[in-house]
Amino acid sequence: MSASTLKRTRRNPAPALKPEQGRGGSSIERQRRKLLVPFVGPAFLFYTVLFIVPAIAAVWISLNEWAGSGPMTFVGFKNYIQVFQDPLFVKSFGNTLLLLFVVGAAIFILAFAMTLVLRDMAAKKIARNVIFFPHLINALVFGILAGFIFNPGGMVNSLLKPLGVTEPPAWLAQDNIFPLIMATMVLTTTGYFTTIIMAGVDRIPPYFYEDCALAGATALQRLRYVILPLTWDVFGTCAVLWTISSVKIFEIIWVFGGSSGAGLPPTQTWSVAVYTYVTAFSGMSTPAYGAATASAIISLALVTVLVVLLRRAMRRDAIEF
Amino acid sequence: MSPNFRFSKALAVLAGATLALTACGGGGASTSANSAGGGTVTYWSMWKVGEPQQKVMANAIADFEKQTGTKVDVQWQGRTNTKKIIPALNTNNVPDIIDGSESNLDIALGSTGQALPMTDAYNTMIDGKKLSELIPAKFLAVNNIKGKDGQPWMVPYSLTSDAVWFNAEKNPDLVTNPPASWTDFISLLDKQKAAGQAPIAADADIAGYNAYWFVSALVHSEGPGAFAKITADKTGAGWDSPAVMAAAKTVQQLVDNGYMIKGYNASKWPAQQQAWATGGADLLFNGSWIPTETGTYAAPGFKYASFPYPSVAGKPAMARADFTGFAVPKKAKNAAGAQQLAAFLMGKKYQDAEGTDAKVLPVRADAAIAPELTSVKKAIDNAKEIYMGNDGVTTAGYMEKNFNPTDDLLFTGKIDAGEFVSQMKEKTIAYWKAQG
Repeated sequence: MSASTLKRTRRNPAPALKPEQGRGGSSIERQRRKLLVPFVGPAFLFYTVLFIVPAIAAVWISLNEWAGSGPMTFVGFKNYIQVFQDPLFVKSFGNTLLLLFVVGAAIFILAFAMTLVLRDMAAKKIARNVIFFPHLINALVFGILAGFIFNPGGMVNSLLKPLGVTEPPAWLAQDNIFPLIMATMVLTTTGYFTTIIMAGVDRIPPYFYEDCALAGATALQRLRYVILPLTWDVFGTCAVLWTISSVKIFEIIWVFGGSSGAGLPPTQTWSVAVYTYVTAFSGMSTPAYGAATASAIISLALVTVLVVLLRRAMRRDAIEF
Repeated sequence: MSPNFRFSKALAVLAGATLALTACGGGGASTSANSAGGGTVTYWSMWKVGEPQQKVMANAIADFEKQTGTKVDVQWQGRTNTKKIIPALNTNNVPDIIDGSESNLDIALGSTGQALPMTDAYNTMIDGKKLSELIPAKFLAVNNIKGKDGQPWMVPYSLTSDAVWFNAEKNPDLVTNPPASWTDFISLLDKQKAAGQAPIAADADIAGYNAYWFVSALVHSEGPGAFAKITADKTGAGWDSPAVMAAAKTVQQLVDNGYMIKGYNASKWPAQQQAWATGGADLLFNGSWIPTETGTYAAPGFKYASFPYPSVAGKPAMARADFTGFAVPKKAKNAAGAQQLAAFLMGKKYQDAEGTDAKVLPVRADAAIAPELTSVKKAIDNAKEIYMGNDGVTTAGYMEKNFNPTDDLLFTGKIDAGEFVSQMKEKTIAYWKAQG
């Protein structure tokens, strides 16, 4: 860092080189301090207004009983107790963890596998685009497509009929929808993370691979000794991104069950985000904003704890190359 | 790459994002400023541009503007309007008038005391009569649209109901001779099944539709309010009643006897109602919107007809009727103009248009009606007692988190009537314990 700072000061002589007497810190430090308020101020202000204040308000609402408008009654931690005692919340929480860990593991295993294959493949740019493509499609399309493919009179059953399958499985039965959602998540998200990890892999200088080839390393050894250590920070960022986004998974569950969003999805598929939404906005009963925000705060806490743990677990000295 | 450089880049991205956000905020604020002003009524409509009801409403509003000189600023928001108004009530950007189903308006405004009494609208003379005299009294007996002050906070303009739908072209006998009791109904289903036809179509992914069967069975045998009563019983003892078990058994019977169309438990709406409209099944127990909803894909020559849910001997004739109508928030800036608009739309001309153009059930008994809905209208006219969808239960989370998931299991044959009743008893006790 100091080297680059020096380089910059030399290149930019005008105000920075004028030394001021009596005050602490180098001129560059002071310059930076001066810029802090105009640069960080506006962003900080908007961040406070748009995120921090609402988050604090949410904590306050979660301690009250409130129908969204009208009188608020302070009830302390009752909403939290109520939410934790609700077997449906526990089930939703479990589903969120399944998405986070099971889908997450599948995504990263597949992403690294594809990275290995894609690096040496001909037409890898096209392949990369094809893999990334599902991520661009709105979840609603998958919801409708699932109906088209798996409905009792849908594509799969029509294809099975000539093969003599007259009693096909109930593909879209309530218990089968969650595994289907998990599979769809893997399909849509793997390409996204493959692309990011590939960008990290592309930075690795080719002579490392040449070294590997000379040493007779297998693809797996290459992954272990070259690719993983040199893309560790990229992987860490991806893991954090996935953790944050997986806890918020909502729309795909919403459109998969319950008639593509016209009704509520079956409770077997609910995630914490869906539970929160239904509690506040089901439109079928008096909104319970207190319980809904309590559930939202719990998932916020979950994300925070997981991200901190993850950062800690993934901490390595960055390798300069 | 130095961390310095990385930091300033992140800052630039953040600044860009902030700018984008402020741009959005600015845009929103300027549009809301336009809506305030003298002689203007802001209306958040539950209809979207292009829907038949929207066309009827737009024509009526044009007449209203011409006759009264009041300008109506309409936002065709669609059904989410009653969700959007809840947070809006905490701000100054509140519409003068909003429409929706009674349950949605009750959740948003009525139950929280945020709705203005519609006394002025009810006292307005429409076609030579007070509006309060034009709405049949039996509707007002159950549809609880009265606030704590005893004044109604809603002006209903149309109704939704339910019925067992069929194609009169294929089953002309059912028009003249519908099943008079549950036993008759079951023998009809047996006959259809024996003829190699699937008797009943259903999209079991919509829990609300599945609930029709149990709730109707209970309400028809025990009277309106019976279901609401057992859900409100904190001890859960209401679920022990033999009538509840009998109602659950009617649902189990449909599943056990194989009357349902194949794959009803594993489809995405509207697959099965489509199958019904193209002749895949004979009957569909669903709402009064079915003729318009399935009209685009029904088989050629399909003639919509319906009969009411089978009645129980010794009980008065019953029909379900849920209001759709207007409410005015207490915070409305032009409440007088809003009430005037609500009353104006109850004119015969517009009620007829609701019946014949939009093909819904108008509230006024003297309004014209589409031929598809005559059987439903007749059932409502004949009904001595009226009940609401879900028997009017809107307690926070009870239906969507407790009843519906359990009823889905019963309706798809995962559990039997006994298991259903004991689970519901347990869940009702737990629900009320958690509510404290």
